[in-house]
Amino acid sequence: MSKTVIPIGPFHPLLEEAESFKIHVDGETVTDVEVDIGYMHRGHEFISERKTFTQSIYLVERICGICSTSHPLAFVHAVEDVDGTEIPTRAAYIRTLVGELERIHSHLLWLGLAGHFIGYDTLWMWAWRYREPVLELFEKISGNRNHYGMMRVGGVARDVRPEDIPEIAKTLDMIEKKMDMIAKAAADDPVLRTRLKGVGVLSRQAAVDYCAVGPTARASGVPIDVRKDEPKDAYGLVDFKAVVLENGDVYDKLVVRVLEIVESVKIVRQCLKKLETEPGPILNDVKEITAGEGIGRYEAPRGEVFHYVRTDGSNRPLRHKVRAPSYVNIPTCSVSCKGIPLADALITLASVDPCYCCTERAVSLVDRRGEPLSVDVLELSRRKTELLRRDIYG
Amino acid sequence: MAETEGLLKDLAGKIGRIVEKPGRLYFEVADENILEVAGYLFRKMGCRLSTATAMEMYRGLEVLYQFSHDASGRYFCPRVVITDREVPKMHSIAPVVKGAEWIEREMAELFGITFEGHPFPERLLTRDNDKVPSRPLRLRRLE
Repeated sequence: MSKTVIPIGPFHPLLEEAESFKIHVDGETVTDVEVDIGYMHRGHEFISERKTFTQSIYLVERICGICSTSHPLAFVHAVEDVDGTEIPTRAAYIRTLVGELERIHSHLLWLGLAGHFIGYDTLWMWAWRYREPVLELFEKISGNRNHYGMMRVGGVARDVRPEDIPEIAKTLDMIEKKMDMIAKAAADDPVLRTRLKGVGVLSRQAAVDYCAVGPTARASGVPIDVRKDEPKDAYGLVDFKAVVLENGDVYDKLVVRVLEIVESVKIVRQCLKKLETEPGPILNDVKEITAGEGIGRYEAPRGEVFHYVRTDGSNRPLRHKVRAPSYVNIPTCSVSCKGIPLADALITLASVDPCYCCTERAVSLVDRRGEPLSVDVLELSRRKTELLRRDIYG
Repeated sequence: MAETEGLLKDLAGKIGRIVEKPGRLYFEVADENILEVAGYLFRKMGCRLSTATAMEMYRGLEVLYQFSHDASGRYFCPRVVITDREVPKMHSIAPVVKGAEWIEREMAELFGITFEGHPFPERLLTRDNDKVPSRPLRLRRLE
């Protein structure tokens, strides 16, 4: 067993969030990876139990900036699962449309970061250039580039305006063309192939053992996709295929994501067609949530987002559990990084598209001396807002 | 539905109160049987552990494991009720289901539940902190 340990993080120029990897190496070869999380605690589960169901939608939206549709969508699925609440067809198409647009922008974001991590900044510039129009679409649809505030228990908050549909379709045409280009480049480009093929392999068995989800599992030949396995919203009404590859290396994870963007474009097109021709309500009035429990999930760009809600008949959840996809995908790094050169470890760690904001939602409050604080999180938040207000307005 | 019938038949005598909803089966399991039930769901039925949720309820602490049967889109959720609030403990399923390691460590940290037989019973979120509040998600109910 080697004794050299290389720490990456918790604050490192190459990591956009605070996370800590302790990489054990023997010469150049990685022998073990220790993952330490706990730098992004914000207490969402704790706060959620003090918020009404509608307030919690805005709260869970802020768990992650990238998956800001996936978390609220999984949460409203969970609340709707308590009573078996139905939603209008038009709302189902809008939910699916927004969810798939989010997948497109999230996969493009990862593609850019992956290119950057392997020193191939052309890919980064391509991907982020084509991501920008998608964010502009979001601004048109919801008024925001992130945190769209679209979801409600029983439907959606905002309709897609008919006059916006041609522009969305036009952007999709552009994205599809460029994705073809990137897919072909990925297949032909010697840089990407030599740098990523056979690197950081996650075997099918390991993916099953670690309960991996999303592109991480699908690139290893595990055919799981919530959109197919438990089709909610309009996923049962649109035609698309789940992309599953076999090799489990970083290259396959990249190809899965690129092909998924193409599938997402297809889904959004079908949704737009329906939204053009089928008017109708977008929100069912939900008067109360009875006592019970509900499970809601959604296939976020990184994999299954899981929300569990226990209710007691009041307007607040008794218990709200959140499990983001990175929480189960990050531990797979300890398998996929073993035995590879150190230089390949970073892209392998990044290949699961880790999101630490999602992974850590819990909180422990201590003062400067490390003593437990008795004050509650909401009170702290209020105090912080008050300080900011004083700072701005005097 | 065949999966539910098979499960109820094969695990007869080990399953307590059942609550069935469309696509969901919640059932109570005694602590001494949870390892066997988890093994059956994970290995025999090919379920995937989505996560586990601990809750503090009137009758004690509940630990609910949420297993997803992806082939049918159904959820099978065994629930263990721990009545000892002061020193709560139960068997870990991590020796059978590797994917349960992190979530059991998190539940141990936030609810103070000891998972016996866990391969790496360290704190998950506050490993580097010397002084951390004990059982933070239970504080509000103990007040």
